[in-house]
Amino acid sequence: MIFAGIDIGSLTAKAVLLRHGKVIASHFEPVKATSLASADHVMGQVLEQAGLRIGEIQLTCSTGYGRLEIPFADCNRSEVSCHGLGTFFSNKSVRTIIDIGGQDCKVVVIDSHGMVEDFVMNDKCAAGTGRSLEILARTLGVELADLGRFALRSHRPLPVSNKCSIFMELDVMQLLYQGKRRENIAHGITVSIARRIASLTGKVTLQKGICISGGVSKNAAVVRDIEQALGVTFTPLAHDPQLMGALGAACFAEKEYRRRMEGGRS
Amino acid sequence: MTIFNEIRQLAQSTANDYLTRARHRGHPTVGYFCSYVPEEMIHAAGAVPYRMRAVGSEGTSLGDTYFSSANCSFVRRVLDKGLRGDFDFLDGIVFMNGCDHNRRLFDNWSYAHPDTGFNYMLFVPHGRSEACLAQYGNELAKLGRFLEERFDTELTAEKLWNSVALYNRKRALLQEIADSRRAAVVPISGTEFLSLMLAVSVVPVEDAIALLEQVLAELRAGRIHTGQAVLRLFVTGSCLEELSHLELLESAGAVVVADAICLGARYFELPVPVGGDPLAALGERYLRNLSCPRMMDDVAGRIAHVRERVSDFGADAVILEKLEFCSMMSGESYISSHELRKFDIPSITLTRELYGGGVGQLKTRIQAFYEKVINRS
Repeated sequence: MIFAGIDIGSLTAKAVLLRHGKVIASHFEPVKATSLASADHVMGQVLEQAGLRIGEIQLTCSTGYGRLEIPFADCNRSEVSCHGLGTFFSNKSVRTIIDIGGQDCKVVVIDSHGMVEDFVMNDKCAAGTGRSLEILARTLGVELADLGRFALRSHRPLPVSNKCSIFMELDVMQLLYQGKRRENIAHGITVSIARRIASLTGKVTLQKGICISGGVSKNAAVVRDIEQALGVTFTPLAHDPQLMGALGAACFAEKEYRRRMEGGRS
Repeated sequence: MTIFNEIRQLAQSTANDYLTRARHRGHPTVGYFCSYVPEEMIHAAGAVPYRMRAVGSEGTSLGDTYFSSANCSFVRRVLDKGLRGDFDFLDGIVFMNGCDHNRRLFDNWSYAHPDTGFNYMLFVPHGRSEACLAQYGNELAKLGRFLEERFDTELTAEKLWNSVALYNRKRALLQEIADSRRAAVVPISGTEFLSLMLAVSVVPVEDAIALLEQVLAELRAGRIHTGQAVLRLFVTGSCLEELSHLELLESAGAVVVADAICLGARYFELPVPVGGDPLAALGERYLRNLSCPRMMDDVAGRIAHVRERVSDFGADAVILEKLEFCSMMSGESYISSHELRKFDIPSITLTRELYGGGVGQLKTRIQAFYEKVINRS
C-alpha cells in the first residue's frame, strides 16, 4: 500500500511517498502561485519518480500553510504534528525537533510514539526564518546557498540584532557601509538567528535527542551556531531534513487509513 | 428571520432599531466601557446602557493619530470608530480605568471630542479590600450625582431596585443559556453565545430579556449545535468580541462550552444581592464578585475559578486569549499557563490584534494544540 504526504509551505512544496514503511519517492521545489498548483506539481513529480498513478495511492495527507487548499488530500494535520512524526520516523531516538521553515520556527517535543507532547512557535516576527535569511543574503549580495559557507569562513561574528528582520537588515546594511567583511557579517547573522532559536527553546522543556529540520537546517553555519548556543549535538536524521513535514504527513496518511479500516474516530 | 439570525445581525451592527425606538420613547443612549460600570445606574437614570465595542471597525488610521502602535488594538479601533462618527447616536460615555490603555482612551476621546455627548470617567480601585470597596462606593455615589444632574432625575432606591431586578433577570436568563452547554451535546456554540452577548449588551434591557426568552425557548425545544466538535474548550482572557475568531477556534474541531471573558460569564455570573442600600449592593456585586485580570489581589481566585469551570463543563483545554500589548493579560496568561500545567490542564495563549490578520499561523497553532490535546486521550 502506498501513502502520500504533501507539505505546502510558504517557500517550498514537498511530497513523499511511503510503501511498506519505506520512502520510495520524494521531491521538493519552490512554491507556485497557488497551493493547488504546487501540490499538483510535486505530486506529479513523486508519482513519476515511483512510476505510479494517482489512483494507486491509498490515502494522502496534507500539511503546511496550504494544507486546507488541496482537494485531493484525504486528511490534513498541522505541520507541528507532521514534523514530530516525520523526524520520529527518520530516527526513533528523536524527542525534540527544532524546525526552521520559510516563515516560522517551531520547537516540538514528542513522546516515544512520535506524538506531540508540547510545542512553541514564533508568533509574530519572521526574524530567523528562511524568508528573513533570503532577504539578508540579498542585502549581503550573496546567494542564499552561499550564506552559510561565508559564515563558516569567519571567526569574528559581528553584532546583528535578532529582534526583527527589518532591524536585522538595517544592521547588515550599516555594517556593509562601514566596510566590514561580508564573512563576519554573515557569521553575525547566523549567530543572531541561533540566539533567537535558543531563546524560543526556553519556553518548553527540551528532551534529549534533539534534531533540526526544515529548509534552514541545510545552512551549516546556522546549525553549528545553534548547537553551540544550546550546547548540544543534533541527532542525525536518515532522510532529508527539509522533507520531515511531508514525511510526517505520509505517516499520518497511513495511520488515518488504518483508523478508517478499523472504523475509528479521528 | 429566526431569532439566531436576528441576534447575529444585532451582534454585527454598531447601532440598531431597538435603540432608535427607545430614543423615541425618551430614553437616551449612554455608552460604557468595561464590566465594572453598573448598568443599573444608567438604566435607573432613564438611559439605555450600551456596551462599547469595535464591531464593524474598518481600521485604525484615525485612532493611530492619537494612540501609539504600542497601544492595544481595542482602544485604537474603538477611538477610530468614534472619530469616524460611528457612535454619534450616543448621548454620553462612561469610561473606566480598566487598564492604562482604556484610561488613556478617555484622555484622547475628551481631547478629540467626537460628537458622542458627555465623557465621564469612573475610577474603580484595582483591589477588593474594605478600603477599595468604600472607595468604589464613593465613586458610584459620584456617578449617581452626575447622572441625576445630567438627566435631570433622581436615582431613588425604588428606581435602582427596579433596574437591579431587570438586570438580575437578564443575568439569570444568560446563566441558564450558558449552563445548557454543560450537556454532552451542546445546544449553542461559543460563537453563537458570543453573538448573543454582543446583541444583548446593546439593546434596552427589557428588549434583551424578550430576546433571551426566545432563545431559551428554542433551546428548550431541543435545539442542538451541529458543528463537528472533538474538543470542548474553556476560553478566558481580556477583550474578545470577534465572532470570526471564535469561528476559527470552533471550525478547527472544537466547541467553546464556557468562558471567563467580559462579553461572557463575567457579565452574567452572580446577581446583585437584593436588600439594604442599592448602591452598597451594586458595589458588593461589581467590585467583590467580579474578577478580571485588572484586579491585582485575586490571581489565585481566578485560576481556581477556571479549574472549577473546566471541571463543571467537562472542558478538555483552556484557551488564554490576549490582545497584543494587553498589559493586564500578559502577566495573567503567563501565570495561568504555569498554574494550569500543575493541574494537568492543557492551555495555549493566543496573542492577536483585534480584527487582525495572521490567520494562517493562528490556524496552525490552534490545530497543533488540538492535536496535542487529542494525543493525551
